[in-house]
Order: sequence, then structure tokens, then C-alpha cells
Amino acid sequence: MAKSNDLARIITGCKGGDAKCFSEIVDMYASRCYGYFYRLTGNNDISDELLSELFVKLVEKIGSYMGGSFESWLFKVASNIFHDHLRNKQRRKKLLEVQITEFESGTIEPKQSEGELTDKLQIQLGRMDEDTRELIMLRFYSQLSFKEIAQKRSEPIGTTLAKTHRALKKLREFMEG
Amino acid sequence: MENRNSENLRELFEKFFDAEQAENCVEDIQKAEQIFREHPAPEPDDMLIANIKAEIAMRLQASRAHRFRRIIYEVLGAAAVILFVATVSLQLFEKDPPTGEVVYASLIPTAIWESDDIAADDEDLAVFTAQIEQIEDEVMALQSGEDTGNGDSTIVELEMELIEINGDFWKG
Repeated sequence: MAKSNDLARIITGCKGGDAKCFSEIVDMYASRCYGYFYRLTGNNDISDELLSELFVKLVEKIGSYMGGSFESWLFKVASNIFHDHLRNKQRRKKLLEVQITEFESGTIEPKQSEGELTDKLQIQLGRMDEDTRELIMLRFYSQLSFKEIAQKRSEPIGTTLAKTHRALKKLREFMEG
Repeated sequence: MENRNSENLRELFEKFFDAEQAENCVEDIQKAEQIFREHPAPEPDDMLIANIKAEIAMRLQASRAHRFRRIIYEVLGAAAVILFVATVSLQLFEKDPPTGEVVYASLIPTAIWESDDIAADDEDLAVFTAQIEQIEDEVMALQSGEDTGNGDSTIVELEMELIEINGDFWKG
């Protein structure tokens, strides 16, 4: 209760444009949001960029937060930022299609991007599709309940439960295999 | 990251699966989440956090300056509107006729209105007056027995002339 009162105070401060309150929000959520972005992208630099973008966006959008679960709202913004990043990536990929084809057909073995894919979990997550990966990340990093995740994804809670269960079971198999 | 908003996973899964399946699902999820705890994602760099905070502070300052400018513009706009409305209202009030005081304009020039010399003020009246005076003299002469040479017809003629003048006078 004290924690939620504290959060309410901080959010009110943020809405009033208090930089100190924004700093507190950054301290509270940076680690989890970074983990969320990192596990989705597998890249430190991109995660850095996305995290910065998220908190800058927070300054612009805090006025539109109208109560309810702040974490749910924050991760909704984070998810939108990640999807924007994916769209931009797709666009860039199309533009550079020729160069990428040349690079891939070359003799150089595609390296793991700057030594990012270092841990086993990240490698196994990379084997899953974007949607499933995001579902798992939301479940683990956002601290959202299944009900909130289902609402965010605009699907019935039963579907979310089944998809998450399937995805986590698969991930476990990958990790044990 | 243990608290999931006090969510009871078993209860939730039992709504969609039988008790045994729900038990397995919960177990699968808990084991998978254990994997995440064993493989923590890297933490954001301290420098990155400091940069984010600095960026936020900068944006807030810019936004405050922008808001201040907007308030100034809004106040100036409001003042201009109030001034305009006040000016228009004043003009409208000034155009209203004063109540309780009616001003009449005379068609007759004041000099004539105030003059007692009617004959001098009106040429026709002066002519008529002269004619009446002339006829009066002639009537007086006739009555006193002075002969004008025309006899009875002269009196009748004078009377006719008098009647005619009288009629012309009242016709205006």
C-alpha cells in the first residue's frame, strides 16, 4: 500500500514536470525495461536506444496516463516502441536488401552481433517468433497479470494462457535439449 | 519479480483446463520462469541511466519554456479580446439615445420666430398688408363722400377686391 502511495506521489510529480520524480521512475523501472528490450532484441546498443526512447516518450506521454496499473501502461508504451523499432528495421532491411544478400552470400561467416548472443537463454529465445518472444517477455519482465497481458494483446485470457504455457514449455525444452 | 499482482495461477488455469492439466501448466510456467531467474539479462549501464536522466531534465526545461511562452500568448490573446469587446461595447452604449430628454428642432428660423415685425418677415404678407391698407384708404374716402369718379361701381369693385384678397390670404 505504501509502495502504491509512493508510486502515485511520484506519478503526480511527473505530471507536474518534476525531474526528480522522473529520475525515481527511471531508477525503479530501468532494469526491468532494459531486460525486456534486451531479451527481445538480443543487442545491447539497440536496448540502450530503446530504453532512452521509452523514458523520453514517458515525459511526453505521462499526461495521458489516467490511472490503473502503471506498469501495464509503461510496458504498453515499451511494447509500442519495440514494434516501431521492428517496423523501422523491416524498412531498412528492404532498402538494403541487395547489400544484405551480397553480405550473406559472401565467404564471411555471419558473426554473432558484437558478442551479444552470449547466454544460452538469449540464443534459445532467438529461435522463437517475435510474437511468442514478446509474450514471454511481457510475462516475465512487465510483472503484468495474465488478465492485463490479455487486455494489452486484445485477446481472450484463455488464449493468452494457452500461448504462454506453450511458449514457456517450448523454451524449457530448448534449454534442456 | 515474484509478485504477479497476487494472481492465483492454479485457479486461473482451472477455469480452462481440468485440475491435473492446470497443475502441469502452472508447473511448466514456474520452471520456465526459474530459467529466467537463472539467466538474468544484463543491467543497463550507469552512464546510460545518467544520460537518460539528463535528457529528461533537458526536455522538461524545454517543455517548461514552451509552456511559459504559450501562457504568455494566451494571456495576450485574452487581453486583446477583452480590449476589443470593451471598445465595441463602449461604442454601442454611446450610440444609445439619452432617456427622458427629447430634443425638437424648429422648422422656422429663430430670427423670424422671435421677430415681431411680421410684415418684414413675409413678403406676401407685406404685399397683402399694403393692399389692405390701400383699400381701407379708398373705403374711408368713399365713406367720407370723396368722389373717385366711378360712382357705385367703384364700391362694388372694392368690395369684390377685398373678398378676393381675403380669400387669397387664407388660401396662403
